[in-house]
Amino acid sequence: MVEESLVDTARRGGPRAHGVRQTVRVPPPTTARGPVDDALVACAGGEPGTFGPVYDALAPVAYGTSLGVLRDPDHAAEVTQEVMVEVWQKAARFDPARASARTWVATLARRRAVDRVRAEQARRDRDQRDLDTSVAGAAPDAVAEDVERRLEGAAVRRCLDSLTSTQREAVVEAYYGGRTYREVAERLGAALPTVKSRIRDGLGRLRDCLGVARG
Amino acid sequence: MADDDTTRDAWDLLPAYALDAVDELERRVVERLLAADPEARRALDEYRDVVAAFTVEEAPPAHLREQVLARVAVAPQAGTRPAGAATPPARPRRRWGLVAVAAAAVVAVAVPTTIAVRATQEQARLQERVDTVAQMMADPSATLVRADVTGGGEATVLTAGDDHLFTASDLPGPGDGHDYQLWVVGAEGDVTPAGVLQAQDGTVEHLVQDVPGVGVAVTVEPDGGSEQPTTDPIVVLAES
Repeated sequence: MVEESLVDTARRGGPRAHGVRQTVRVPPPTTARGPVDDALVACAGGEPGTFGPVYDALAPVAYGTSLGVLRDPDHAAEVTQEVMVEVWQKAARFDPARASARTWVATLARRRAVDRVRAEQARRDRDQRDLDTSVAGAAPDAVAEDVERRLEGAAVRRCLDSLTSTQREAVVEAYYGGRTYREVAERLGAALPTVKSRIRDGLGRLRDCLGVARG
Repeated sequence: MADDDTTRDAWDLLPAYALDAVDELERRVVERLLAADPEARRALDEYRDVVAAFTVEEAPPAHLREQVLARVAVAPQAGTRPAGAATPPARPRRRWGLVAVAAAAVVAVAVPTTIAVRATQEQARLQERVDTVAQMMADPSATLVRADVTGGGEATVLTAGDDHLFTASDLPGPGDGHDYQLWVVGAEGDVTPAGVLQAQDGTVEHLVQDVPGVGVAVTVEPDGGSEQPTTDPIVVLAES
């Protein structure tokens, strides 16, 4: 069964060599603790004056993540503000053994951005009767161009070449669309278990290509 | 069997979970796995690193910095206490297991009576009172007694241990040169002064703490109150 492979691969740390091309350069490991991580840990002491440098280092992560999902500078700025205040408030919960500060902030930002996409979507669905089909959503071509432009600058870009085209499509749809894999399946006209597998295998390959290893 | 299937499904969903691409029910399934299995948490941490690798950092609008730092200056941090804020001394109580449950109920009770009409600077004090009342309501031995007030209105007392929360509504004014005064009635019929009531539009909420007694009573007293009651009570609230 395809479904079993994740349990097996995740438990033994993944098939590191599987599907990774020789030509792919592995980026520097993201697990080494750096000055930003230390600064974030230090600001958990409750002194607001220590947060300035943390903001400067991590707000671009929050903003870049939000912009990737939302594609609207105003929405992204609002989400960034919420996320950075949350970073301050939850600093004591940041565990540098589990994540880099960058990954932690990207995770918080992505969750908030996706929440906003879904709330917008729900609102749009409610208003759909009034709107009809005329104006909802940006032109698909513009979205695709924007996604390609963003991917160009992402650390993950070269590793995306190690994915099959269907894996890449599913992962990119889920990442940039802020969609559930069910919604991705509907959009792609593919079966649910298939899309689940594509996302799972796609992220697994990216993990191996990026050389991510924790624990 | 079913557990094995659920566990496998949850493992299967980890990558989608890292992408926030699961629905609410699936999210809970995955979080149950994460709570139980450190290996799953480690796998999730790796997937999150992968997802973060999609982020292209971009400078946010410059004005955002000031806004965030202004909010940070006043926003409390989880797990820390603002400098100078002392921990209120813990009040010994018999059983507090239900405090959390009762707190939700007590907010609904307390808000209509006083909180809505008080100024912002009193909120901290009120919060303390709400906490106290929450503790009282959580006390399984707490009693609630209600009675009509002679001359008009209705009065209630919530008693838990040596604490009494007295409330009244639709009270007429006590009359020029007079105040309503509350008394705690002891088991021997003795009375202890428990404060002059400040009614607002006929409504009173008055908390008496650490005074042992079997009930409370209200009398009309000369302005500022008396050391002993000088008139007959207009209401007595005691367990029969």
